[in-house]
Amino acid sequence: MTDNAVISEYEHVDADIADVVEPKDLSRRLKGRIYQTIEDREGVTLEQAGEIAQAVEARYLETRVDPLDPVGTVSAQSIGEPGTQMTMNTFHYAGVAEIDVTQGLPRLIELVDARKTPDTPMMTVYLDGEYAENRDLAHQVVWNIESTKILALGDISTNVADMVVQVNLNDETLLERWPTYDDEGVVASEIADTIEDALGVKTRREGTLIEFGPESPSYRRLLQLVEELRDIVFKGIEEVSRVVIRKEQNDDGTEEFVLYTEGSAFGDVLSIEGVDASRTTSNNIHEVHKQLGIEAAREAIIDETMNTLKEQGLDDVNIRHLMLVADIMTNDGTIESIGRHGISGSKDSVLARAAFEVTVNHLLDAAIHGEEDDLNGVIENVIVGKPIAIGTGDVDLRMGSLDVQDADANAAPEPSDD
Amino acid sequence: MVDVSQHKLVPEHTLLDDEAVEDVLQEYNVKKTNLPKIKRKDPALPEDAEPGDVIKIVRNSRTTDKAVVYRLVIE
Repeated sequence: MTDNAVISEYEHVDADIADVVEPKDLSRRLKGRIYQTIEDREGVTLEQAGEIAQAVEARYLETRVDPLDPVGTVSAQSIGEPGTQMTMNTFHYAGVAEIDVTQGLPRLIELVDARKTPDTPMMTVYLDGEYAENRDLAHQVVWNIESTKILALGDISTNVADMVVQVNLNDETLLERWPTYDDEGVVASEIADTIEDALGVKTRREGTLIEFGPESPSYRRLLQLVEELRDIVFKGIEEVSRVVIRKEQNDDGTEEFVLYTEGSAFGDVLSIEGVDASRTTSNNIHEVHKQLGIEAAREAIIDETMNTLKEQGLDDVNIRHLMLVADIMTNDGTIESIGRHGISGSKDSVLARAAFEVTVNHLLDAAIHGEEDDLNGVIENVIVGKPIAIGTGDVDLRMGSLDVQDADANAAPEPSDD
Repeated sequence: MVDVSQHKLVPEHTLLDDEAVEDVLQEYNVKKTNLPKIKRKDPALPEDAEPGDVIKIVRNSRTTDKAVVYRLVIE
């Protein structure tokens, strides 16, 4: 942003003030906040503006991380302490819509453990253009996502005397869920085909009544067919058991329909017509990784952890700690968990690994393989009682005397013997 | 196929030429292998990226305007 843009954006900021603020070693975001403050105060003198900018810069430089600061340890404590205040188990319908999502500590643990599937997979599906504004069109997308099973479409009855399963499909439901068709008979015949393919039986269809039975009369086989029939997915995505549609207000005052799904199949959803593939997300970080890559996974980890903390009223945890965690987890191009099987388990130092979990195994394995410990890290040095290589612990002090009279005053001081 | 780069979670990925890679390594005083990694089959990767290449990633940072990071393409 140029000075001119700044001046035109804020009423009480003139060129002189901008000239004072712009050269400061601050990010655009912080400069923006300075201008906003000046704006809120309805203008300040040039001198005051200079003082504000000076103070903000001084504070900013002061809060920067010093060399040799143990940022990882600080992050661990900064996340760990609020974590103690989190609810151990929350299973209630909070947050968005009526979808049950794991929250609190269990969710945080699940994220840093990088579980393959979350306890309650969920997607937030945004819609494209028309689909986001029109409820009927939005519903079309819902039917393409939500898995439709036979019980949602009609009634099943078993006729033991004739050894047949009868499915009486509901005409209205068929036309509602297959909006592109206008004849329920056509839909019913497609359903019959799906049943034939899935169960390997011959079906007879009359209108919307479908009938089939085992090849040879067998009571067990008949009941088995009914069981299998219930599991067939006729439409939608198998993993998604339920979709909730919600009208939401955007920041700019416009309204749009947003879908929340129980169950997640991120890849499948992205290619469905009407889905906005630029905003839709999943709470399964592995699916995000697979579809959008490691950088998106990193963003997702930060978003998910921050939201989990926020939900519990712990949003004063600085986001930098979560960014560090996400950076470490995605450092090698895949999602690695924090913990025994991930980061902590792959440390170079034997002692550091042994200090974490399953001590004996690590020591035994290390002994068998003749591993060495270079004592570079923190934990191993605490164990052996040496100074740790962080902060002042990593600074060597050299003592010696300088003979100023000496011709070569620039020579490096000789370390003394003690 | 969905255009991955359009997603709001995906920052801009660009392939660096050899000269730029040298500058980066010099600036940070590191070896190529010290950089964070990115898999060759990563969906957000530019198509012509090969293992050994360095990718420049410009994130919309939460704490500053833009954050530039580099990742080394690996198998």
